[in-house]
This record gives sequence, C-alpha cells and structure tokens, in this order.
Amino acid sequence: MSGLTRRDFLRASGIGVGLGLGLAGCAATTTGDIAPKSGRRVVVIGGGWGGSTAARYLRMADPSIEVMMLEPNREFISCPFSNLVLSGQRTIESLTLSYEGLRNRGVKIINETATAIEPDTKRVRIGQGYVAYDKLVVSPGIDFQWEQVEGLAAAKDTVLHAWKAGPQTVELARQIQSMPDGGVFVLTVPPVAYRCPPGPYERICQVAWYLKNNKPKSKVIVLDANQNIVSKTALFRAAWQAYPNIDYRASQKVIGVDTSTREVRTEFDRVKYDVLNLIPPQRAGAIAVQADLVGADKRWCEVSHVTYESVKQKDIHVIGDSTIGLPVPKSGNVANNMGKAAALSIVSLLNGKPVPLMPPGNTCYSWVSDKEAIAVVNAYKIENDKVVQIEQKLTPAQSVSVAQRAESWRQSIWADMLS
Amino acid sequence: MTTTRLAAALAAAVFALAAGPGAASAAGPLDDPAFPKVITCAACHGANGNSRTDMMPILAGLDPAYFKRQIENYATGKRPSPEMEPYAKQVQFLGLDEIAAYFAAQKRQPTPFRPAVEAVAKGKATAAQCVICHGPDGKGDAARLIPSLAGQPPGYLAQQMLLFKQDTRDPGDPLLAAKKALMRIIPDGQFPELAAYYSSLR
Repeated sequence: MSGLTRRDFLRASGIGVGLGLGLAGCAATTTGDIAPKSGRRVVVIGGGWGGSTAARYLRMADPSIEVMMLEPNREFISCPFSNLVLSGQRTIESLTLSYEGLRNRGVKIINETATAIEPDTKRVRIGQGYVAYDKLVVSPGIDFQWEQVEGLAAAKDTVLHAWKAGPQTVELARQIQSMPDGGVFVLTVPPVAYRCPPGPYERICQVAWYLKNNKPKSKVIVLDANQNIVSKTALFRAAWQAYPNIDYRASQKVIGVDTSTREVRTEFDRVKYDVLNLIPPQRAGAIAVQADLVGADKRWCEVSHVTYESVKQKDIHVIGDSTIGLPVPKSGNVANNMGKAAALSIVSLLNGKPVPLMPPGNTCYSWVSDKEAIAVVNAYKIENDKVVQIEQKLTPAQSVSVAQRAESWRQSIWADMLS
Repeated sequence: MTTTRLAAALAAAVFALAAGPGAASAAGPLDDPAFPKVITCAACHGANGNSRTDMMPILAGLDPAYFKRQIENYATGKRPSPEMEPYAKQVQFLGLDEIAAYFAAQKRQPTPFRPAVEAVAKGKATAAQCVICHGPDGKGDAARLIPSLAGQPPGYLAQQMLLFKQDTRDPGDPLLAAKKALMRIIPDGQFPELAAYYSSLR
C-alpha cells in the first residue's frame, strides 16, 4: 500500500473512531454486573449472519426471554455481495443495514466486544464488567492466523484481506481503481477451511471484469493454496473464459509477504504485485479460542448437530463460520439457518420442551460478471443426531435470471436476520 | 372488600403472575409443530411464506394439493430448479403434508411491488385469454390444481410464463399443453404486463 500510514488507514476506515466510542461508552469501563438479570436471559456474542438471526428468532419464539446481543459494530455490513464493491457495481452503503429492526423486537444491543467467557459462573466479560446468562450463543465469525504468513503480522494493517466487509473492502476497491493500467493485482486464496468457499473466485471474477473494462493491460494473478478451485469449479472455469487477464496458479500456498519489495513468497516462487489482496488462513473468532470452545487444532468449534451446543461447554451454543464437523460450507445462509436452529433449541430447552430436528440448508449465489450469477444449493437431513447432506445442485450455467434471484435472496435473507 | 372479592382479586393476581414472564411462551410459534420445519424456507420465501421480493413466490395461502404437486415435481426434476430440487427433498424428509398444510393456513399478504398502471391495464387486456382457467379474479381452480396468481410477485410470474413457453417447466405434461400453446402465441414482451396485472389482483 503506497504512502498510506497505519494512522491514515485507521482514520479513513473509521476503525479509530469506533474504538474511541467504545472506550467512551459505559460498558467497557463499568465494573461488576453491567445489567443485573431479572428473568431468563440469553446473551448472543456477535451480530453477524448467525448472531442476528439467533437474536431475532429467540425473541420471535419466546418474548418472555431477555435477549442481549454484544456486537462492537454499530451497523451490519453484508459480506455476501461485497465483492461487487470491488468492481464498482455496488457501494458499501448499499450493503450497510441498521440493527433497528432487532431493537424493535426487544433485542438489547451492547456495542462492545466480549472479552472472556466464564462458563462456571455463566458470565460474559466485557472489559472490567460482566453480564450474566442462562444460555449463551457464540457467533464470532472468523479471525485470521497472521502468524501463518511470514511478515504478515507486522504488515496486517496495510496488507488487505477485505474478508470482513467494511473499511477494508472500500480501501481495496480504491487501490484497484488507483492501480496503473498494466499493473498486477495479486489475490491469494487460503487453504480450506475458510469463510465462504466460492468467495475468492467470485472476487477474481469481479476484479477481472473491472480490469478488463477499465485497465485492459492489467492482470490478475491468483495464488491458490488449494489444488483446484474449491467451489463451483466448472462454473467458475467457464466464467473465466471471458477473462483472459486471469493467471490462475493452483497449489501455491503463500508463506511470506514483503511490503518493501512488494512481493509475496510461495514455497516455490516470488511474485511481484502492484495491489495485493492476501486472504490469510483462518480460525474461529478470538472469543471462541479464548473460551477454549475450539478443538485440539485450536481453530474451530465442534457442536451438537441438533442444538449447536458446544461439545466442550454446557449451555454455550456455537453457530456460524466458527463451527466444524457438519458437512456444510461456512456461508451466510448456513449461519442464518444455524441461528434459527440454535434459537429454537434454546427456547425449547428453557421451556422444558423437546428440541425439534431442524436440518440446515445452503443457497449460495456468486456473481461472475456485472449481470450474471451462478449458484450452488445444498439441503440436509438429520439422521441419528447427525447432519447429513441430501443433495447438492448447481445451476447449469451462468445467467441473468440466476442473478435476479440472487438479488431477491439478498433482500429476503437480510429481512430474515434483521427486520 | 368482601372475602369473595378479595379471593377473586388474589386469584386474578396469581393468574396474572402465572401468565407473566416465564409462562408467556405458551402461545409462541413453537406450539405449532410445523413451525420448526419451515424456518429454512423463510430465508427466501419470507416470514410465514409471505415473500416480499420480486423473484421468490409467495407460499402463504397456496392450495395444499398444488403445493404438494410442485414439491414432488421439483424433487423428481420434472419442474427443473437447481435451487428448489434439494429443498424439495428436504421438505419431503421433514413432512410434505404438514408443511403444505402450514403454508395453506397462512394468510397471503400480496406482493408489495406496485407495477405501473398502464402495464396493469395492458396486462388485463391480454389476460382475457387466461380467465377460462385462472378465473376472472386470478384465484385459479383448486380442484384442477390451477393456482391463485393474485398478489404473487411480478418477477416470479413473468419468469414462469417464459419457462412454460419454452416448455422447460414440466416439459411434455399433457395437462399443461393448452397453457403452453397459449404462452407461445403471447410475445415475450407482454409477459411483464400480464405479470403486473396478476400481481395487482387482491
């Protein structure tokens, strides 16, 4: 990133402002019980696709249960569709949504980060203070394994992942737009498992589309740690026929980055970049690791396939991208389904009722140009308390009508989380 | 206050407590055993099957026999849809009869899309050819598995007309031969108007 200091980046991105508000707010500096509990309470950590859905369905299923959601961001920004910001097809504002709908349903939102979980006393720590819970939903999304790429930890404020939609998405779009014609855009794909399996390949389509139309001498070099395109393989291969500016290199795991020479290093090669989008290897969100909800690999959380209760801690239900062991992708639609199933399980358990079987589903659209999309759909059943895939289907080809349905899916599922 | 009235007041207070926090869950959606079976549908088809978007059909108020036929056709691939084929099999796994009855019992809220008045008027003129099956009010004929189109989203309706015309929805079905013949003589450009008209019906 040329000439952009960490302070400039924080200022431009609003991260510094958010931090300031957080510290000035009451909860982080309060000691003791921040909000004494009077009745039954469920605390939800994280207001993304899983957490928002869980909070909404908890209130829908039993309004007598108090629901408290901890989310440091004041607005919701959708990761799905955010690759379209990189091609200029969408603005980040068009993907930014209010939590007002959840507040209107009685969800109490605290714009703070959960700093620790105390399962024995059933408390969530927020700085010096805490809130008590009867049941806890942990939906922290992913965090990055900076240490897996040499030089990345020191450069993590300037080497962009743009893998959590927000300021980094906007900054990466700006860098692509500012890149000279003839410049090289390098995108690195992390090894599985990572958030949104088709996401990197959709991003490649969007950047390649933009460069083809605006900077025809530029190219996209893809360094994929995996042996092949991870998701919708044949459909992406077909889409890339329209983008001769893509140079795709499989089995090229990035092991180092040097911002002074503007190079990324793989096990076999050094690759120069003008703009770099390094998507680092991933693990469950920090709070899940801190609370030891993760397995022996310290990466992901194993859960019940029926209730999403952690196999390691009673009364803590983990949902979304931080889970492992179900045959489902780490997608927004799956997190949405897990949020519903966890919410209805918790309401059933708190009311002494049997937990119904609620198998997930996954509908996943990817934009391959400015007008056309492809999709993959997975449906599941539950057999012997385990989630089993019934079927996976792909669209036969890319089309405008799939893209039209993608738009309707976006509007509908946003309402299913936040209205 | 007499003893009787005091007792009544106490009883009322106790009842109010019992109905307060903790027991209010008695009337929640979980008391309908079908509700947990349709939560996956809501991501696309909206709360209680009342889709608010242009391309996803409203399931609320659909005739249960028609709903069941469509799920069966999606599951076998007779009505080809990469999105719906897996989910149709999930619906069969969870209980087709129960889910069909659930959506049939929901009150349909017409699509929020408000097409242009001229499009509706033009569509109404074209629709003169459709009333023999779909009825003058677009409500269809449940006995013949002809669905109500009234208030469905216009984008969905227009897309289905195109699929019928191309014979890609239920290809070769003799019961749909007349319908498809009609679709073939209507120019593609008139489908959005026809869809606008049916979406405007209440």
